[in-house]
Amino acid sequence: MSTVDYSRRRFLRNSGIAGGGLLVGFSLTGCSTSAPPLKPLAGALAPNSFVQITPDNRILFYCPRDEMGQGVTTGLTTLVAEELDVNPAAIQIELAGPHPDYSNPAFGAQGTGGSTSMAAHYDQLRQVGADVRALILNAAAKDLAIDVAQLTTDNSFVIANGERHPYGKFVASAATLEVPVDTPVKPAAEFKYIGTEFPRLDGVIKSTGTATYGIDIDVPGMHYAVVARAPVAGSTVNTVDDTATRDMAGVIDVVPVATGIAVVAEKYWQAKKAAAVLDIKWDQPELAKVTSASLRADYTAGLNEEGESADEEGDAAAALANATHTIDSTYWAPHLAHAPMEPMSAVVHVRNGEADVWTGSQGPGAVQGLVARYAGLDVENVRSHQTYLGGAFGRRATLHHVIEATQVSMATGKPIHLLWSREDDIKNGVFRPASLMNIRAGVNANGKVDAWQAKRVGGNITPETLKNALPGFLPNMPEGVIDWVVGLSNSAFDGWVVDGSSVEGLFEDYDLPNREVTHVTQDHGLPLTFWRSVGHSYTAFAKEIAMDELALLADQDPVQFRINNLDNNPRLQNVVSVAQKAMAKMQPAEGRFLGFAAHGSFKSYVAEVAEVSIENGAVKVHNVLCVVDCGVAVNPDVIRSQMEGAVMYGLTAALHGNLDLDDGVIRQSNFHDYPILRMNEAPAVEVIIVESREAPTGVGEPGLPPIAPAVANAVFKATGQRLRSLPLRLA
Amino acid sequence: MIEFTLNGERVRTDDSADTPLLWVIRDTFKLKGSKFGCGAGLCGACTMHVDGRASRTCILPISAVAGKAITTIEGLGTPDNLHPVQESWVAHSVPQCGYCQSGQIMSASALLADNPSPSEAEVDSAMAGNICRCGCYPRIKAAILAAADSPVQQFDPQLDHPSQQETEASA
Ligand code: FES
Ligand code: FES
Repeated sequence: MSTVDYSRRRFLRNSGIAGGGLLVGFSLTGCSTSAPPLKPLAGALAPNSFVQITPDNRILFYCPRDEMGQGVTTGLTTLVAEELDVNPAAIQIELAGPHPDYSNPAFGAQGTGGSTSMAAHYDQLRQVGADVRALILNAAAKDLAIDVAQLTTDNSFVIANGERHPYGKFVASAATLEVPVDTPVKPAAEFKYIGTEFPRLDGVIKSTGTATYGIDIDVPGMHYAVVARAPVAGSTVNTVDDTATRDMAGVIDVVPVATGIAVVAEKYWQAKKAAAVLDIKWDQPELAKVTSASLRADYTAGLNEEGESADEEGDAAAALANATHTIDSTYWAPHLAHAPMEPMSAVVHVRNGEADVWTGSQGPGAVQGLVARYAGLDVENVRSHQTYLGGAFGRRATLHHVIEATQVSMATGKPIHLLWSREDDIKNGVFRPASLMNIRAGVNANGKVDAWQAKRVGGNITPETLKNALPGFLPNMPEGVIDWVVGLSNSAFDGWVVDGSSVEGLFEDYDLPNREVTHVTQDHGLPLTFWRSVGHSYTAFAKEIAMDELALLADQDPVQFRINNLDNNPRLQNVVSVAQKAMAKMQPAEGRFLGFAAHGSFKSYVAEVAEVSIENGAVKVHNVLCVVDCGVAVNPDVIRSQMEGAVMYGLTAALHGNLDLDDGVIRQSNFHDYPILRMNEAPAVEVIIVESREAPTGVGEPGLPPIAPAVANAVFKATGQRLRSLPLRLA
Repeated sequence: MIEFTLNGERVRTDDSADTPLLWVIRDTFKLKGSKFGCGAGLCGACTMHVDGRASRTCILPISAVAGKAITTIEGLGTPDNLHPVQESWVAHSVPQCGYCQSGQIMSASALLADNPSPSEAEVDSAMAGNICRCGCYPRIKAAILAAADSPVQQFDPQLDHPSQQETEASA
């Protein structure tokens, strides 16, 4: 959201978790172990927390961000490789464990999210590479008795008088020298690996079943645990009858945990079968009275409330009264589950005053903190082993599975593999909040959008996300204080300040000289958190359909209309212009129609064109054009794959995504009633990356927001039906 | 006690007969390349070859595979000896999170063994049972179509070279 000028007034009004980032005003530095994070291999040079070089010239990089598919291992390795002058494919990548040195510079804590990784580490890791290369050169100059100015490097070799010496030859001597700092980094024109095409570095392990995910951890003596969960979130156990369960094959224990009753057995299948025959009576919370219809009625009533101001400029009401054409449109986006392909799991072993934990998370430091808190240990005595993540999309920052596994390991003394089912994840996870949004806007005779009144009704993600994040990041903070902070944020967002993530994307892109953005909180007790592209996932839908509606009223081409209203946002304006030219070359076949949308998020700018037809009464998307400006394109192919993936993820939401509530119970349970886009529905995607010298910005999320409105705008052209509710359903 | 062939080796297990093959392979034989995604035959993450046919093993009780030949991703190729489909996957940088890819590759290799040069529509229908939440579909399709042109037409090495060696695993 670089187009937003965070004036102090706006800063105060929008606090919380904006854009999937962490907290404004909290310092999250709970996990301070002072021991160095790397164990140097025999004779190796380990000048910092990120790189070590062995005498036989193996080069290891400790990747500080979590690989959930977004290509961060490839991306961050490329940064180090560029300055260290080593082919990225020759570098051995290690997934870093928890340590303050591996903090995300964007958050000040060890977390991966908010499409921040490349932007946050771009300077840091190039500097690391440059300093280590300078150190090797100094050692080589000393050992070879040659002036350092006479030396160059090439792919992990020092070149001296035409001879090649592996870096590893100088590690012993380098270890005695001081590590240079602030070594100059290369100008962009000299980049060798940044900006070039090569296969992603985790391609081989992920094509052979040899990448290790949390679910794959198997340690001696390990038992499996399955939790019987409450049908309604927030319920507590009243009574349990576990007689039948305890009699079943392989079962060794039945353990109450924070979220239900865990059954422990030698094998997963045994635990699963035995958990199914538990007889549990639950005490249900208020949420048990809520249905989809009652929730929607509450939200609709919320539209009539005044709400809290999130943003204000000029005089929107007066401008609306004077506008040539106006709209008054209401848009709906439902609750959604993340449904990463790998269900939640964690392996925890607590014994003798220490613990090990293995899981793939968006923050191994928080994992360490949670185990420490629930096992009553100091963080120094908890080893947190990070694995690859089988998808995350925001889901793997909420870590109930780690707490559950810790509690079961404490009770049984065994290493416990605690595994959620798909049904657990869809019914008992944390959700993308539903949103009802109203936009009243007006366009003047010059084709400028002069008035913009936008209101969003729905839940806020920050209280629940805080509730789940604080215990791990601040393992020593007492529960009472956490409850107090969470309660404070809950009441703060209900009538005092606006949770930035609830309204982000609803107003920042276009010039909109007169605007008034308000928010009405409706909290029914369903646990909410960030979901790929966070608030942008629904606000772009409302905003970009509204722009189409306004263009139509003003009798203007919808793409040119956007360009005319982006004078204060030159990078998005440029992206829209590039898309406009590419779109002119698309020649949709008979019966196919093009829809357009553009949106800025996570400091990147994206425009998308969807080519759509209607087949048997359903929306079919054939082709998508995606234009992105994300600053310097470090790995163009990773950027393309993230845009492709975000289009597919966004299309699942546009065409299928919906969760219903029946008396507080999520009705959907697995992929038959919570369908995910399949290959036969997947469009071809062409990605154009705008050349840029700006610092790199987000790519994991920004491709998502424009796709649903682009498709909806195409559907309007195809049918005349203006669909303002997700998922898109033709009348 | 149920016996079958696993990646060319005869194996036996005394896991209960209703245990889905997926969990026997993962928990008893400790091969972790095949994944659990839904447990209901809906996503394809658990796909293996059963007598050469791509099968959803999360809903396939081991009683149904007695005497059959099972090939998992581990039996298809290794990082040092990639199967042609895996080579194509790497060249196209198909995987994102990678979690669905064992299942995708087992479905794709079974398709190509059956139909060495499928049309796009045939690829769509053969792959419709495999979900990729990361949305790698355009690359999966491109990788399959590229592998279809590969001169190597050996799509299940374990079926071509069944080994008679017998090992035992206790459950
Ligand atoms: S895990 Fe078997 S089809 Fe999903
Ligand atoms: S690569 Fe992540 S689910 Fe397919």
